Amino acid sequence: MLEIDGLTAQAGGFRLHGISLRVGEGECHALLGPSGSGKSTLLAALLGTLPGVTGSLRLAGEELSTLPIERRHLGYVPQQLGLFPHLSVRDNLIYSARARHVPEAEYRPLLDRLTDLTGIGALLSRPIATLSGGERQRVALVRALTANPRLVLLDEPFTALNESLRRELWWLVRDLQRERGLTVLLVTHDLSEAHFLADRITVLIDGRQEQSDHKAAVYRRPASVAVARFLGLKNLFPARTLGPQAVDCADLGGRLAVAEEGAARGEVWLAIRAEHVALRTPETPSRPGETRLGGRFEAVLDLGESALLHFCADTGARLEVRCGSRVLRKYGLRAGDAGAVGLPADDLFTLPR
Amino acid sequence: MSVAPGPRASIVAALAVLALYAGLIVSLAWFLDGGVLSRTLFSERSLFSVQLSLAAATVATALALLLAIPAAYALSRHRFPGKEATETVLEFPIIVSPAALGAIILIFFNNPLGEWIQENVIYFVFGFAGIVLAQFVTILGLAVRMLKAAFDAVPVELETVARTLGARPRLVFFTVTLPLAKHGLIAAFILTWAKALGEFGATLMVAGSMAMRTETLPIAIYMRLSNADIEGTVALILILVGIGLTALFIARRILARSAHA
Repeated sequence: MLEIDGLTAQAGGFRLHGISLRVGEGECHALLGPSGSGKSTLLAALLGTLPGVTGSLRLAGEELSTLPIERRHLGYVPQQLGLFPHLSVRDNLIYSARARHVPEAEYRPLLDRLTDLTGIGALLSRPIATLSGGERQRVALVRALTANPRLVLLDEPFTALNESLRRELWWLVRDLQRERGLTVLLVTHDLSEAHFLADRITVLIDGRQEQSDHKAAVYRRPASVAVARFLGLKNLFPARTLGPQAVDCADLGGRLAVAEEGAARGEVWLAIRAEHVALRTPETPSRPGETRLGGRFEAVLDLGESALLHFCADTGARLEVRCGSRVLRKYGLRAGDAGAVGLPADDLFTLPR
Repeated sequence: MSVAPGPRASIVAALAVLALYAGLIVSLAWFLDGGVLSRTLFSERSLFSVQLSLAAATVATALALLLAIPAAYALSRHRFPGKEATETVLEFPIIVSPAALGAIILIFFNNPLGEWIQENVIYFVFGFAGIVLAQFVTILGLAVRMLKAAFDAVPVELETVARTLGARPRLVFFTVTLPLAKHGLIAAFILTWAKALGEFGATLMVAGSMAMRTETLPIAIYMRLSNADIEGTVALILILVGIGLTALFIARRILARSAHA
């Protein structure tokens, strides 16, 4: 459906370098990255609001770069939603039909279906200023779909909402996407949002495409240290590969088994996610393929659903450990307690250094 | 160390500004004569000056907005060669005194192109068209600047969204940009109109001061004062002040409404 090849764009002093990605029909693809990584610039290039874009942008086989915005068949929900404040909800929703001179008999069935699905039927006569945050999001989503777009661009539309409303709207977008077979490009800096909504993820950092892959692959195997750090991975240790499934890491006590051979060879970073570090007691027998480290818990934070611990190994290495609150209570750990952690070989992986 | 005055000192300064202008207006009462006021207000010459001023200011403002609206939109939304120079030249009527501006216009009509325009298109000097032109040139920069601020306040994102919904740029301008800049546009019209109404120097240079022909309200004030007719001058000033303050009041109401919209 969407094919981007070698896209380069300049916005002020910021540059987007040779982006290439594919979004299949009916797929939700997330552009994930920190602020200033180029996500919105890429969206602006797709929208056609950015001059000097080079490379190929094809949507359903049609080259976009030569088309004016109104003929690109895009649905767009910006971060501030872009609702027209001088129009009622109804007038916002039928703006597209009016602009394209579509008779009411033609646009009515789709509009009725969308308002039913999103539960905004009772809001139609209301001015935009009287809507709540969640209602505005729904209206903006529906409006973006009223022109039957080939591709829907969502530019961090849920950022300003509280957690429960955000999750509610994630479900709504998911339902809409499945019901309407929408192809969606979602810009977000929130990993959970990307995981909830997207099938595939492209990670952008400093205008460069660091990784494009299925969401599970991005989570399990970040392609670079930059991606790993952006995804919140703190446990990174310098190491050297010894063979296909072994590394030498002084910080973690020497030779360690790693289940998968990473792409990186020689000098590497050895990584493990905080949630994959297992809590152990000194009495627990070692499991096959697991590296056991003794040490002391420097900090223990109960976050409600989960707990975060800082572990200082006897080797001097500091690890971040994340576990469920119930697990924490089971072990009865407090800051300063001696203890042990296990590093399962399946969860250790290497990154190029 | 802060160089800002304390709250009490700054409030006193603000009230001093009010006292200065209010004091000047109230001081007119010293020479206010009810009989002269009513005779001056309803004299044929004064009524002509009021009508001429209202008509010329309205035409000049309408023409200025006709050019200023697209110009301000371009300055607000587009990059183009000469943009910075255009923005700089908007201050031209402010840095050049109105009399000098009027003299420049008068000199222009004495060069071959100006003479050709006067002979073949429209005669400006010493006529209604000259008054309109002098006011137009004086207020155009202000009109563009105010309108640009009104367009700047409309998020570009709304125009982008409207275009993704299938609207062409012209439709976006008339259905999104213009309605959202409406309050700023009306306020710009009122304030530039009030400035045109009070314009004196350039008008005097281009149109002269012929009674019952080119004598606008500010010129009539000048003529009466030249003839030492203080009571008559006060009566005309009160008319001008009344119209001007009403315009300012309306503009402030509109701008306040737009700020809360």
